[in-house]
Amino acid sequence: MSDRLETLVGRALREAPLRRAPPSLESRVLREIGRRAALPWWRRSFSRWPRPARVGFALACGSIIVAVLGAWPWTEGGALADAAAWSAGSWLLWARPALILVDVARQLDSALTGAIPPEWLYAALAAGAILYAALFGLGAAAYQTLYLKTSSAGESRS
Amino acid sequence: MGSNEHTTVHTPSQEPSSSSEFTTFMRAYQDMVFSTAARLAGNDAQAEDIAQEVFIKAFENFGHLRASPAAGGWLKTVATNLSLNYLTRYRKRWRLFSEESNLPETQVPDTVLANLGTDQRHALIEDTMRRLPPHQRVPLVLYHFEDLSYQEIAQRLGVSLAKIKTDIARARAAMLPMLESLGIDGAGE
Repeated sequence: MSDRLETLVGRALREAPLRRAPPSLESRVLREIGRRAALPWWRRSFSRWPRPARVGFALACGSIIVAVLGAWPWTEGGALADAAAWSAGSWLLWARPALILVDVARQLDSALTGAIPPEWLYAALAAGAILYAALFGLGAAAYQTLYLKTSSAGESRS
Repeated sequence: MGSNEHTTVHTPSQEPSSSSEFTTFMRAYQDMVFSTAARLAGNDAQAEDIAQEVFIKAFENFGHLRASPAAGGWLKTVATNLSLNYLTRYRKRWRLFSEESNLPETQVPDTVLANLGTDQRHALIEDTMRRLPPHQRVPLVLYHFEDLSYQEIAQRLGVSLAKIKTDIARARAAMLPMLESLGIDGAGE
């Protein structure tokens, strides 16, 4: 039965001709190609940048990372200095940036919790969660109402 | 090919002849690319977006595609990959809103449809396929249109071989009533 069904469906699908592309496709593609070609190079994807610009960008990023990790004042004291010093001489050298980030986050957290009453922080977190949920629900409703029903209706008509 | 309105693109980096050559190239393949995307995505509007992206990638690689005998295969592969990316990205994101539930069940009339015209028969087949849930439609399309094996489909979609076989079997079973109504009963096999 399953072989017969496979043959039957396979034959029916093989006989189906190609769907005709919408007449608007060609003009859409050409318009989009023209729009992208008119963009200045720095607004195109990174892989399309001129080679000197890519090299310069990589060098600039590398320099900034080195400057931040090597010269920032907070690398001088506290647990970070211990961790960074420990990692500097060990096989965990690769983890140094992560340790620094963790320490910065910890310092930021202690600064915030010391300066702001905890009730305010909890209230702000709750308000943020409620707003996020409301926005998510609104987006879902809009997607279902404006997009799905419209496209389903359009396809049913076509 | 459709009678498409013609828009000429002149950019500093492309000769006009290259642009018209690309237009000819696009006209030769646009139905194939759109069909691939539409059958996998199950949505014509998304298929048009996917087809647009495919041809923009083709334009970026037109230097070697224009003379390549494998251009059709390249386009089909890119269309398949972009369609699967679309399905993975958006269907997971919007699964909560269950767009499948908005599609009505396939209606197969009680009367035999064997005397429908060829175009109507093909449209009915496409419509039935489009209404399958994506987890059944996508493997079915990859098996019957892209000629992938069950194993290849399972690897491609990242699901078990057993699930692929089950989903394809269910998709075929879902199409059977419509095919029988059309008088396609495999008696000639």
